Amino acid sequence: MGGFLPPAERRSSALVALYVATSLLLLAAGERLPQVTLRGVGAAIFAPLDRIIMAADRVFASWRENRELHQRVTALELENTHLRVLADENRQLREQLALPGYQIPTLQPAEVLALTGEPHPASAVLSAGAAQGVHEGDAVVTSDGLVGRIGEVYPSLSRVVLLTDPNAAVGCEVESTGVLGVLRFSASPHPRLVLTMVPFADTVKVGQRLLTSGLSRRYPRGLPVGRVVRLGTAERGLTQEIEIAPAARLTRLRYVFVIPGPGGRLPGGEP
Amino acid sequence: MRALGAFLLGTIVVLLLRSTALTPFAARGIVVDVLAFATVFWALRYGAVWGSTFGFVVGLAADLDATHWMGRHALILSLLGYAIGRLARTLVRESGRAQLVLIGLAVAIHQAWIFPFELGGFDHIGSGWLYLLRRVVVAAAATAPIGALVLIVARRLSGRSVFGHALVPPG
Repeated sequence: MGGFLPPAERRSSALVALYVATSLLLLAAGERLPQVTLRGVGAAIFAPLDRIIMAADRVFASWRENRELHQRVTALELENTHLRVLADENRQLREQLALPGYQIPTLQPAEVLALTGEPHPASAVLSAGAAQGVHEGDAVVTSDGLVGRIGEVYPSLSRVVLLTDPNAAVGCEVESTGVLGVLRFSASPHPRLVLTMVPFADTVKVGQRLLTSGLSRRYPRGLPVGRVVRLGTAERGLTQEIEIAPAARLTRLRYVFVIPGPGGRLPGGEP
Repeated sequence: MRALGAFLLGTIVVLLLRSTALTPFAARGIVVDVLAFATVFWALRYGAVWGSTFGFVVGLAADLDATHWMGRHALILSLLGYAIGRLARTLVRESGRAQLVLIGLAVAIHQAWIFPFELGGFDHIGSGWLYLLRRVVVAAAATAPIGALVLIVARRLSGRSVFGHALVPPG
């Protein structure tokens, strides 16, 4: 068949056939490939370039953020004073009831170098890696709430699997009522976070806050995840399917904090 | 050597744009498909061999950047690069309308192909077809005019044709 074509066209046809075959092979091989290593190499190559590109954007944003942060720091200092009084009171009461004490988690700050995935980001590359004490499975948060968990760790970088990854699942509970469910990302019929496996017997209201339950042992308990925005029924009609607006702005991540140790050094977290 | 340098630079710029500047737009549902646009540009300018090679390399890099389904971008972009490279010899490549249509088509095909993988497989298209349609239309409508505009600006700035005449083979 190639004989009907001029040599240059035969060459281009052969080349594209090679590319197609390679791509199909990669698709077929799937997870059996050492993708973590390959992605690590890619992330290491692009990290310095990402830093340069993001620097200009961050200089502009930091001026505005600085003003907002000053206001917020003042408000938080006032709140903190009040909370210290309550914390002392709480500690004394817990001691009297022989309940275990709270532990304050250590937070490892990191810069987000790149968000990947279209139209919704599914993962992010962080500026902290094994050298900074980041481990696979660590929870990642912003000041607003949960972002995801560390999926891959490289020497000085790491990759977060965001809540919007199709394979991510987070054990959650509704604040104040304790209704349990599993948060997943659903791309169909439109991209959204959905709290699944909630029985009809449990009452959930729009506007309620969702926290990590700690039951999956992957995330510490009590991290804000989002807020209920819509109630619905699962496809098979056996459970509720509740749409959740994420607490953290997953599409505009700049700085995040890694909480070392899956499962929690937060209050009530599973060991 | 110069062509290879341009190739590497183009690949890096495209991937950086995709993972930084264009992310906020994508998050709002407006996918400016810079991968498809760059592949069309390369195929129109350098022909089928370089078009498919560029599509494959840039697609593979995008696949490496994602967490699942390695090979999906590389497959469709190499095919698009090849097809557009072959078409380039029969088109007036400097025509704004031809560029608009080609970019729009390439974006639509690219988005329509990669979307089912994000759903978790082709079985789930039934429930998400409306979103697929909206995404394809929005991506094509956003990328094609921007891409055509970029090419017009490039032509104006350089003061000469970007792709050359149809009778002159690309590359």
